[in-house]
Parts: sequence; structure tokens; C-alpha cells
Amino acid sequence: MDAVLSGLASGFEVALDPFNLFLVLAGCFAGTLIGALPGIGPINGVAILLPIAYGLGFKPESAIILLAGIYYGAEYGGRISSILLNVPGDAGAVMTTLDGNPMARNGEAGKALSLSAVASFIGGSFSVILMSFFGPALASYAIHFSPSDYVALMVFAFASLASLVGSNPVKTLLAAIIGLMLASIGIDANTGVARYTFGIPDILAGIDFLVVVIGLFGMAELIHLVEQQAAGTLKTLKIDKSFVTLKDLAFVKWTILRGSVIGFFIGILPGTGASVASAVAYGTEKRAARDSSKFGEGDMRGLAAPEAANNASAGGAMVPMLTLGIPGSGTTAILLGALLLFNVTPGPLMFQQRPEIAWGLIASMYIGNVALLIINLPLVGLFARMLTIPQQFLTPLIAVLAFIGVYSVVSNPHDLYMITALGVFGWFLRKLQFSLAPVILGFVLGGLFEDNLRRALSISGGDWTILVTSMNSIILYVLALLVVAVPIVVGRMRRNRAEDQSPEAPA
Amino acid sequence: MADRIFAGVLLLVAIGYTVIAFTVIHAPFQYDPLGPESWPRILGVVAIPCILFVLAKPDVARLGLPGKTWRRLAALIVMLFAYAYLFQPLGFILATFAFCMALSLMLGARLVPALAFSAGIGIVGYFLCTKLLDLNLPAGVLTIFR
Repeated sequence: MDAVLSGLASGFEVALDPFNLFLVLAGCFAGTLIGALPGIGPINGVAILLPIAYGLGFKPESAIILLAGIYYGAEYGGRISSILLNVPGDAGAVMTTLDGNPMARNGEAGKALSLSAVASFIGGSFSVILMSFFGPALASYAIHFSPSDYVALMVFAFASLASLVGSNPVKTLLAAIIGLMLASIGIDANTGVARYTFGIPDILAGIDFLVVVIGLFGMAELIHLVEQQAAGTLKTLKIDKSFVTLKDLAFVKWTILRGSVIGFFIGILPGTGASVASAVAYGTEKRAARDSSKFGEGDMRGLAAPEAANNASAGGAMVPMLTLGIPGSGTTAILLGALLLFNVTPGPLMFQQRPEIAWGLIASMYIGNVALLIINLPLVGLFARMLTIPQQFLTPLIAVLAFIGVYSVVSNPHDLYMITALGVFGWFLRKLQFSLAPVILGFVLGGLFEDNLRRALSISGGDWTILVTSMNSIILYVLALLVVAVPIVVGRMRRNRAEDQSPEAPA
Repeated sequence: MADRIFAGVLLLVAIGYTVIAFTVIHAPFQYDPLGPESWPRILGVVAIPCILFVLAKPDVARLGLPGKTWRRLAALIVMLFAYAYLFQPLGFILATFAFCMALSLMLGARLVPALAFSAGIGIVGYFLCTKLLDLNLPAGVLTIFR
């Protein structure tokens, strides 16, 4: 408790430094702007701006504070295009469109936007508060993790990824393996043996993380936009004068609270971020409501639940990222990679060795949440203007930003070809219904996974049973089995029940 | 079908990856029991059954894009590679101007707005990034701006 409070105090000292404070605000603002662009979600926004933020040459804590602000802001901005355009920026925003867009069509656009801002604020703040207590506790526990425990943790992470993300578990697993394979390219640090470099000097040191992120997210997104024949201006609904009232908030207060709790805990699970959290929160709310007939036609609860959940999961996903070094979502995987670029290894030791980063980031999230609420309520009209940027100019702009970002970091023109090629690859993956988040998770975790496995077997002298000797790892393997088995069993039970009741029960 | 073609290509790559892991990768001196070759072997052995599963049970029949879209995408890829090729020798301003013109015109922008936009991004972008943000961008043939 004392440790948390003193940690927070030192964190606020970092975050309230005028320059860092400016970066929090700038990040939140830029994030909201880019999140509000039609079709660009938080993950693409962070991916496109990451190399630029890196190239600016800030201190690590400042850069990560800026990136977290962008991430948070993009989560806020994403709801604007969901509500006014019915175009979700990413998978996590799909649930917001279900009731948010009907509300706007019913002439309650202003109310929908302000309600979702408040719901996001509560969800976000709730999860930051929980995070300040959970994080250090988890970190002090994880400090005793041995390499074999880490292997078990990775297995758990990939199991929950395969089981909870995407429609086809095999494809999700395959996507993660593709990421792991990409990470294995380059010189092996332990022995100095080059793997899969085929004598090409540009990839001797491995494929750069920034290149993979920009390629798979930024460039693939660009190709997707062109595929959609993105020309002209999308039709947006007008923002009217309606505004959320205290009565509305009282009506949805339990919804928001439930959404926040669900979001935070789903966010903690490795690999599962906003998309799963918002879907579960929406489903729960629909089932819990006494009168669920209005859901999908502009029910306030249907908007508040996923919004609270997806911002809460953004905080929840930070917990395993900061304390274990295992990102809780695709976007936090990018933040983790960003920390690694600064030679900061997130993990249990970070709270002790680099408290200014761990606590500074947490404190900046408190500030960011408040700032986002304040800039979002009055300025929503300004952000909504972003929706009207003609697509034929927005699309080239994304390419230019991606090129600037990649070139300014290493100044190697070879990387520009790589991002284009990876963009094509990512676009194909997306078209074939692979999710891209597992690829980046696999890529970020690849080195860590291999290192821990090799370290564990070095300790045991090549005896594989070391992987299942400690209690921690056995528990994690059991959890991994559960996370794979439970959805299958529940799905089967539900299907049986549905068949008993009526042959054509709605799913 | 689309799924199968992609999985087929992926299978070839994965087999190549695995074969290399089992034959080529070898450390002359190795201090840990696994060495550099075991991890890629494990990945290959896990990947191949996954790909075979997708081959057996594909769920995306076709990409469903009309020929026009394919041509547009092909043009985009050519533009991107050309942009990458010209980026350093021609310099940011000119390469960006050419790329933005080509892409925005293809996406249906009218000539004058496209000119203004492309010139704006090229020139403002260059000075914003190099002077204000201190990022490194190539000046290329316009050496006076270096």
C-alpha cells in the first residue's frame, strides 16, 4: 500500500514535469485526431506514429508517455467514427456501432458522443486505479518466476490468444507462429550463428520491429483503404445539441461499472484486448437487461457497456505488459516493442530498476484520462471534422507518414521495400481472416520465448521435465488448458440447449 | 480456394524453413543444450500441421474482388515500390510530390486540389520534419535544402 502511494507520488513527479505533461496532452490530442480518421483504429494509429515518436529522440519515459497518450486518445477518437459514420476503426469498436450509430440516427448524436466519452472516462480511470494496485503486486510475485515459468506463461498467453481472438483458432495460432518465425530471422545472440538471412546484410540483425509494425498495420491498412475504393467524403451524421444528463448517467451507472470490471479483467488476459472485452460486456449487458428489445436500436446501455469495457481493457492490457513483459493486446505489444527499442525491458524488475518509466506511465494515464474527457466534450466537433477529410488525400498521407517514420529511424532505403512487401503480406492475411494482432504478439515475444526456453534447458542440462516441475508453471499449464477447453464446452452446451428449445434459435 | 492457394504457398515456405532448421543451422561451438537450431525446428513442426489443417478446412473461398480493384491495387503497389525506389535519390520533396499526385489522382481527386495537396505535403512535410522535429529525411537532388 505504502509502496503504491510512494510509487504513484514519484510517478506524478515525472508525469507533471512540464515537458511530459505537454507530451501527455499532445499525445492524447494527436491520438484522438488519428483515431477519429475513418477506418483507422488505435493499433494503426500507434503503429504509424511510433517510429516518428522514436525518431524524435526523447528520453524513454517521455516517449512512452507520448505513445500511451496516443493509444488512449485513439481509443477515444475511434468512437467518433463508429457513432457518426458507422465505420468502426478496429475490431474493438464494432460493438460501439451497434447502438451508438442508431442513437445518432435518432437525433441523439451529441448525447451518444458525450455519454460514450463519460463511459470511456469511467472505464479508463477505473482500470488505471486497479492497475496501480494490481501491477506492483503482480510484479513482486513474478520476480520469483524462473525461466521455465516464463515458458509456461508464454504457452498460456498463446493458448488464450488462439482460443479467444479471431474466428478460427487454428488461423490465430498460425498467425502467432508466423510472428515467431519472423522473429527468428537474424543472428542468434547466444552462438552468433546467422539464421535465415541468406547472406542479405540488411537483415543480419533481424527484421526491425518498427518495419514489421508499420508494414503489417500501417501499410496493410493503406492497401485496405485503396481496396475499398476510398474516394470522396463519407457521409457523416450531424452533431446536434443533445447532451448526456445526470438522469442518463444514473440509468447506466451499473452498466458502466460492470463494463469496466469485465474490460479490466479481460484486458489482463494476455493477448485479448478491446475486441473481446467490448463484445463480452455488450453480451452480458444484453442478457442482464430486463427489457433487451431496444438493444441494437439505440439503447444507451448498449453504447455505455462496450465503451467502458474497451477503455478499461486498454488499462488492463498494460498490467501484464508492465509487470511480466507479456503484452495484453496487439497495441500493448507495440508499446512493449517500443520500450525494447529504448533498451528498457518491461518485466517484474522494471518497477524497481526503472520506476520513473513504470510509475511515470501509470501517472500519465491518470492525467491522460482526465485530459481526454476535458478535450473530448467541447472539442468533439473539431475531431468530427477529421471524418470529412477526403479519402483521396488521406490515403497518400498515411503512406507518406509511414515512409517518414521508417526512413527517419535508420535511413536505410531497404526498409522501405520491406514495409511495402510486409504490407502486401498483411493485407492478404487480413483478407483471409487471419487476425494481425497475434502476428505482432508472436514477433515481440519470439525472442523472449526462445531465450527462456533455452535458459531453462541450460539450467536442467537438457532435461525437458524442468518445464513442468514448479508449481507456478503447472498452474499456468492448467489455466492454458482451461482457457482452450472452456469456450469449446460452453459453446457446445449452448448449441445443445438452443437445439432443444427451437431448431432456429438466434445465435 | 483463396485460402488453399495462400496456405499452399505458406506450406512451401514452412517446409523450407523446417528443412533449413534441420540441416543448415548449426553452431560450431555451443554452450546450451538447445543451440540455435532447436527453436526453429519446434516452430516448423508446429506450423506445418496448422497449415495442413487450413488446407483441409479452408474457410475463405474467394477474395471476391472485381478485376478493376485488382488493377487498382497492383497500381498502388507499383507506386509504393517506385516511391521507395526514388525516395533517397530524388529526395523527399520530389518523390513525395510525385507519389501523392499519382495516388490521389488515381483515387479520383481533381487536378488542382491534388497539385496543392501534393506540393503542400512535400514541402511543408519536409521542413516540418527536418527543421522542427529534427527527423532525418533525404534532400536528394534539391541539395540546397540540406
